[in-house]
Amino acid sequence: MEIRQIQQEHYVTLSPVGDLDAHSSVHLDEKIQKLVEAGKVMIHVDFSEVTYISSAGLGVFISYLDEIASQGGQLVLSQLSDNIYDVFSILGLNKLDHLIILSPEEKEVATYFVQK
Amino acid sequence: MKSYLRVRCSKEYLATIRDFVRDRLDEMKIEDVASHQIVLAVDECCANCMIHQHQCDGYSTLEITVYRQGDKVYTEVRDNMPAFPLDSYQPREIDQIVKDRAKGGLGINLIRKIMDEVKVEEQKGYYAYVLIKKIEPEGPSQTALAAG
Repeated sequence: MEIRQIQQEHYVTLSPVGDLDAHSSVHLDEKIQKLVEAGKVMIHVDFSEVTYISSAGLGVFISYLDEIASQGGQLVLSQLSDNIYDVFSILGLNKLDHLIILSPEEKEVATYFVQK
Repeated sequence: MKSYLRVRCSKEYLATIRDFVRDRLDEMKIEDVASHQIVLAVDECCANCMIHQHQCDGYSTLEITVYRQGDKVYTEVRDNMPAFPLDSYQPREIDQIVKDRAKGGLGINLIRKIMDEVKVEEQKGYYAYVLIKKIEPEGPSQTALAAG
């Protein structure tokens, strides 16, 4: 799976391309693991080119939430399609602390990473 | 006639399974939200079989069938390995999964929330996971009615 990574001023943007399923999500897992281990816990994931997500993809985000929060970080997801947002909401993941899911209209990701 | 797909127990074939199920549902003219949810449930079921029942052994196979009876869509995943307890599994609390920093534990939860009925049947030496979803009767969509 292709995952573009861009270092922004106060956070890192990851842009996966394609389906996030049990086969492909391991690549995203490795990317986030490296960031968290390096102390880069301000993470934005751009979903504009993600076409599908299964529980394996959800599990990647869920498994790092506690650690990111404990390091004072933030995980922000943006540009989810309706079907992908539906998968998060079926399990109530759209209401979790420390996991911010932006609506399609919200473009100003940086405001969620204001230095504390 | 019921069409079926037989695939090897390797995760790289999950996309093939999703395409097959989506195409069958398109033929049945199942609306997009329900179609996406059924595809997801079948994907979760097959991934569970591949990973936990077969340890991704590419020599084993799964067989997937999709058909409609009245207002219900049936999907069956047939496996020759003893079944995981899809119909009796008690989903874990999401907060606990977050606290445990676990990557798994969400798939069966999703299947149970998406599908209206979930059964595990023994069929002539095979185990079949039967996932059933009720479909809205054909006609003007709720959105169209609201707009009209």
